[in-house]
Amino acid sequence: MTRRTVGQTLMAIIIAAMIAIPFFLPGEQWVNLVSLILIWALFAIGFDLVFGVTGMLSFGHAALLGSGGYALTVLTLSYQVGFLPALLAAAVMGALLAFCMGLFALRVSGLFFALLTLALAQMMYILASNKLRALTGGVDGIPGVPRPDMFGINFYDNRNYYAFIVVVFLIGLAVMALLRASPFGRALRAVQANDTRASQLGHNVHALRQSAFVVSGAYAGISGGLLASLMFYISPQMLHWATSGDVMIMTVLGGKGTLLGPILGVAVFELLKEELSQVTQYWYGILGLIFILATIFLRNGIAGLFHGPDDQDQGGAS
Amino acid sequence: MTAGSLSCENIQVSFGGLKAVNGVSYDFKPGLLYGLIGPNGAGKTTLMNALSGHAVLSGGRVRLDGQDITNLSVHRRTRKGLGRSFQITKIFAGMSVLENLQIAAFAHRHRVQPFWLPASRFAAVREQAEQVLEEVELSALAHRPAEYLSHGDQRALEVGLSLLSEPSVLLLDEPLAGVGHDQLEKAIGLISRIVKGRTVLLIEHNMDVVMQVSDEIVVMVQGQLLASGSPDEIRGNAEVRAAYLGEEA
Repeated sequence: MTRRTVGQTLMAIIIAAMIAIPFFLPGEQWVNLVSLILIWALFAIGFDLVFGVTGMLSFGHAALLGSGGYALTVLTLSYQVGFLPALLAAAVMGALLAFCMGLFALRVSGLFFALLTLALAQMMYILASNKLRALTGGVDGIPGVPRPDMFGINFYDNRNYYAFIVVVFLIGLAVMALLRASPFGRALRAVQANDTRASQLGHNVHALRQSAFVVSGAYAGISGGLLASLMFYISPQMLHWATSGDVMIMTVLGGKGTLLGPILGVAVFELLKEELSQVTQYWYGILGLIFILATIFLRNGIAGLFHGPDDQDQGGAS
Repeated sequence: MTAGSLSCENIQVSFGGLKAVNGVSYDFKPGLLYGLIGPNGAGKTTLMNALSGHAVLSGGRVRLDGQDITNLSVHRRTRKGLGRSFQITKIFAGMSVLENLQIAAFAHRHRVQPFWLPASRFAAVREQAEQVLEEVELSALAHRPAEYLSHGDQRALEVGLSLLSEPSVLLLDEPLAGVGHDQLEKAIGLISRIVKGRTVLLIEHNMDVVMQVSDEIVVMVQGQLLASGSPDEIRGNAEVRAAYLGEEA
């Protein structure tokens, strides 16, 4: 218990330091890197609600991320909707798509769930690349995704936009911490541990899985919106299955089923990518090797280093 | 008292060509303890699965307190008062004993699981879980991860979990399976305490125990009911001896 508390505090301090660094260091490099990390981290903690907490292997999260990105882009550019309402719409869009995917994918479990979510997401990828070209700009994507416009602050300055991302990230983190510590979060863990028993106790397992997927979709949608705005650009690449693979690698690397682990996983992943890609074009291969070693020697990811042997946190106080 | 009557009409469950349960009809009356016995493969657990909603029926009806529950999902049956424990222990690994029981209590008290408050803020749930913790005599192990309990204690937790839905009908699938001799008496004591005021269907291979605790014995052979009656009647039933007790001897 004490080791876990110490470990979690340490992780929190590291993450807090990472968030603080860009405010103090000059140069755009850190701002851009940590912006990217925080957006992907938001995506990853949402993904982990499905993957680490509820125990469902989703390979379709790229579609949820992309749907949010396109929702924000199209609403702001074509319909002149404000940034915040459009970001909200991105969350709704992600949640809605997750709900629809869940209608099909939740009929099966385990590997079949993974395959079905992958197939549905690839379908969305093809739709965005070809069939919906009028809306999505096809493979060329859409440039000129706007930044927020409010309080008279210039969010086209990367430092100001970074502050905006930090606020959204911290709200998302706080909400997720509450969700995981709530009876709802406990019930999701129970579904993962033993779904037969959970339903025998009176839990509606299907509804719980569906809810987790929808909440996760909302997180992905917001992340997609923020990401498009960070890059000023969106393309169907965001919906490509490799995106789903990346977020899973980050989550496993950081420690699935833990609140703070995936954030560190994203940070390490992005940092390595940043550094390695400057040295060699085969950086993805080296990352893959690191991932393989980590799954063998770090069974509970980076969070396991801090937590000690009993792997996953119990979702807060008890 | 009418709560706790369970009846089945011509229940059929098939696995491919095999009729695991083939036309079982029986009325379980409120407040009685029924011992369900029969040789291995007789279809006892499958019948229990049919009653609790884990098996797909190919025919027949199940009624709880007169209401047709044949098409209800497992969790809906639980909410109507049908509880069950499993032959193979199904507990939540990675969580403490108390957390296991709290999950059961939350399922019972909240249809929609609250997501706006930490679980630790629900005092009534904790109280109910602690009450059952005492009932199954696991208070000393409350904060132990459930998977580290001894087998006997896990069986007790298994039974405890099914109690939190406050079932009027309780299906117990071999609650004593694998319990060592030293813990047997304690386990039997627990079962005789919790069955009070409930309709219970008990699958158990230990004949001495079944005959001792049951009000009625129901005998299944090859997916069908062979006989039913008081323990004494069943002991004296030549057919049962031939089909079941004789085979074992």
